[in-house]
Amino acid sequence: MDELYREIILEHWKNPQNYGVIEDADIDISDNNPLCGDEMRLTISLSQNKVKHILFISEGCAVSKASASLFTEMVKEKSITDIQQITPEEAISVLGVELTPTRTKCALLVYTTLQKGFSMVE
Amino acid sequence: PDTFEVGTGNLEGVVGLAAAISYIENIGFENIITHEKEIIKYALERFETVPYMKIYGSQNAENRLAIFSFAIKNAHPHDIAQIMDRLHICVRSGHHCAQPLMYVLGVPATARASFYLYNTKEDVDTLIEGIKLVKKILKI
Repeated sequence: MDELYREIILEHWKNPQNYGVIEDADIDISDNNPLCGDEMRLTISLSQNKVKHILFISEGCAVSKASASLFTEMVKEKSITDIQQITPEEAISVLGVELTPTRTKCALLVYTTLQKGFSMVE
Repeated sequence: PDTFEVGTGNLEGVVGLAAAISYIENIGFENIITHEKEIIKYALERFETVPYMKIYGSQNAENRLAIFSFAIKNAHPHDIAQIMDRLHICVRSGHHCAQPLMYVLGVPATARASFYLYNTKEDVDTLIEGIKLVKKILKI
């Protein structure tokens, strides 16, 4: 019925994967979108430069939460180098919908937060 | 000192402001206020019929403006605004440059519908339709 609010987004919004906080994480990074007030916190445990576990908690709209759920699934078990090569367009493509510029920021909050986390580790 | 001012003065702004003042004076402040009060009264009555909608501010029509910040249970204001757009309803969503108030209210953001002279009671009905559509699409 509605392109943006497809089943996949509603499902990941209501039942997000990888939701929570890892105690003793290797990376603990928070970021926010000051324009809209969305907040994101990622905790990651690494093993041999790979993402072993990744959990997020967030305050935001359906798009930002669903995107975080899908993106954390996407990067699991991947190496930091590989994840750093993911482009914003690829990160959004997992949602499978066209986004307006303002909603793109909602969807990318998880992506920018993670890349910021990696840049602080280096 | 104007001798040393560079560029053209904001003449269109001056003319525009004069036109705006004439427009308001022609209609009359009292008429604008009366129209707004009617909308406020009607809107508050209609909002009461939607149990999952919360209106911030006074519920007394005498005590408030025709600008309604609101929440829909379990729906984020950005999603509310995006879905209402489908019915050509423009609401603003976010902090409205009032972060301390959001903190006090304990909400991440609110949606906001503003009514004025140009709006009718039918617009209030359309807003109610929009709210029902949000609930339907988000399945909340």
